[in-house]
Amino acid sequence: MRAVLAGDIERYAELVGRYRDRYARYAARMLGSADAAEDAVQDAFIRAYDQLAQCRDPDNFAGWFFLILRNRCFAERRREARIGPVADVESHPIAATERPDGMMEAKERLDALQQALLELTPDQREVFVLKHVEGLSYEEIAARIGGSVPSLKMRMHRAYDRLRERLKDRM
Amino acid sequence: MTGYNTLVKQLLDGELTLAELPPELQAEGAEALRLLAAVDRRSVTLSASFEARVMNAVRARKGGRVASPSRRMLRWITEPRELRVRVRPRLLGAGLAAAAALVLVLGGRGALSHGRGTAPRVAAAPESVLVRFVLYAPGAKQVGLAGTFNQWDQAATPLVRTGSDGVWTVTVALPAGQHQYAFVVDGRRWVTDPAAPAVDDGFGRRNSVIAVGGSRGRVL
Repeated sequence: MRAVLAGDIERYAELVGRYRDRYARYAARMLGSADAAEDAVQDAFIRAYDQLAQCRDPDNFAGWFFLILRNRCFAERRREARIGPVADVESHPIAATERPDGMMEAKERLDALQQALLELTPDQREVFVLKHVEGLSYEEIAARIGGSVPSLKMRMHRAYDRLRERLKDRM
Repeated sequence: MTGYNTLVKQLLDGELTLAELPPELQAEGAEALRLLAAVDRRSVTLSASFEARVMNAVRARKGGRVASPSRRMLRWITEPRELRVRVRPRLLGAGLAAAAALVLVLGGRGALSHGRGTAPRVAAAPESVLVRFVLYAPGAKQVGLAGTFNQWDQAATPLVRTGSDGVWTVTVALPAGQHQYAFVVDGRRWVTDPAAPAVDDGFGRRNSVIAVGGSRGRVL
């Protein structure tokens, strides 16, 4: 990062290569599709480059970049909330370890949950994604996005209730 | 149906096991665990061309140099953007005026160079300003321009692909003043213009901004 700031822009490719996939899953689950995630991560890298001089901790590019990507994801979802849902739930291949009817049920549950996640508020969806997709603890989530553990738990518990309501006939 | 019991939420949080739930909550706990079992945790890999696209965009930034915030703001304010064209509807037919202005706009500066978007180019006039919006979106099937000037109607102002290089453009007559906008790719992905300043619209969202001066012909 210091090399990039010194003018060697080609070194930025190293940062892109190192972190390109690291948060792609987060973006995909936040936005509902891998296509939207790719756009978001690309925008975030371009914005990060423009704002690189503002990164106060060069040793924590990943954490700083995550916040830029997070802002991008929130802006996208809130914009969609204003104009109506537009994200598509992707078609997911299911590992063939179940009988066909079981596979169908698993796929339906997976799609139903992904759709239900998109109907959560962005704040609720984010804490769910960070905990249950990325596998972070409440303490790690608090360190990453701010907020207290009790407030994050409250947000998550509301998400649980809302998901149960949305999926009452599917689980 | 009400929400989950508090103990079941603790189960979901990983603070309790199913066996630790009282018998009357076992079924609810099992249902809750089926929900977590449906979570898609597979990794997402971006396309092979991703790094190249990012680096092309980065190299195309002004001089390829990382500018400080104050320098970027100063550059944005002071950099002349385009030729100005005075549109005189009384003297010229609207179509002729637009065509003439477009020619001047297109001829004003060099080749398009930004990765995903280029700053809107402005041909200013006291009452009617032609602004050229450009987006680099090689994979897009259609691109629209939505903003305060068209009531955020993503279908009202479509961009046209200029060739096979993925550059989409549209030229729009805008009144003097500040306008917010975004590009809409394939009818569903809203993309801010990385080459233009963006503002929070008061609801946590970001919109690109163009400020059209009636006499200076600059994008602020």
